[in-house]
Amino acid sequence: MRGVLLTPERRWECPNCTDTHLTHETEPHTPFHACRGLRGLTAPFVPSGIKAKVEAVERGDYVGREQVQTDGDGRPVMAVVTTRDEGQDCAVLASTATASARED
Amino acid sequence: MAWTDSRIFRAFVNDIMSNTAVFKVGGTDVFKAALMNNTGTPDRDAASASTAYNTGQWTAASNEVIDSSGGGTDWPAGGVSLGTETLTTSSGGIVMFDAPDTPSGSTADIASAFGCLVYDDTLTTPVADQGVCFNYFGGSNSVTNGTFTIVWNANGIARITV
Repeated sequence: MRGVLLTPERRWECPNCTDTHLTHETEPHTPFHACRGLRGLTAPFVPSGIKAKVEAVERGDYVGREQVQTDGDGRPVMAVVTTRDEGQDCAVLASTATASARED
Repeated sequence: MAWTDSRIFRAFVNDIMSNTAVFKVGGTDVFKAALMNNTGTPDRDAASASTAYNTGQWTAASNEVIDSSGGGTDWPAGGVSLGTETLTTSSGGIVMFDAPDTPSGSTADIASAFGCLVYDDTLTTPVADQGVCFNYFGGSNSVTNGTFTIVWNANGIARITV
């Protein structure tokens, strides 16, 4: 008996810009994009038809010499939070761990 | 005290140069990110043994943050694998350790994650699970019945400038 492998198709959209996306993944996943509505931040898509709010959260601490991630206006952002009726997702924008051998 | 910044461990660099520990980047060793609360103060100058997962500052019982529901499978104790990490040497005196973004399962409950320890889960000797670096998130971050994703900086997880 022969089986047929079905490729799932999921459509995604962004509540803050007009970008859309299509995936064929079988595993749980969330695609990201550079969102024009969030000043170029890396932000998650939400499944088409799902009501959700996607917001940037400004960094809660000093930047100092940290290599942080910023939006298009140069503001340090620590996370992009997606709030759905049944829960909340969070994409933290980690800073880079550094070491330097320069003494000049 | 608390988290203030993101750093590569001094012991990591020293142990590579002295051939004390062998970190195999690029699919051989499994590197993981373990989430941490704000209880302790990460120390870049810690001795090798104190940079490892489940020791010192990085003790699982008191400092680690995991998925608190459904058996903790969405972000388990010990953390999540970085997948296929890479080591690149671009121009400008840069050596960069990087990996794809690191997501949890889709129904995680995670509270008050301030940063993460990146360590070699394959390394067993001389120090098991020795740390590479720690990365600060800039504050407290949580999810409820959702996905927690670490989006690594375009400058990499860790970056050495010579």
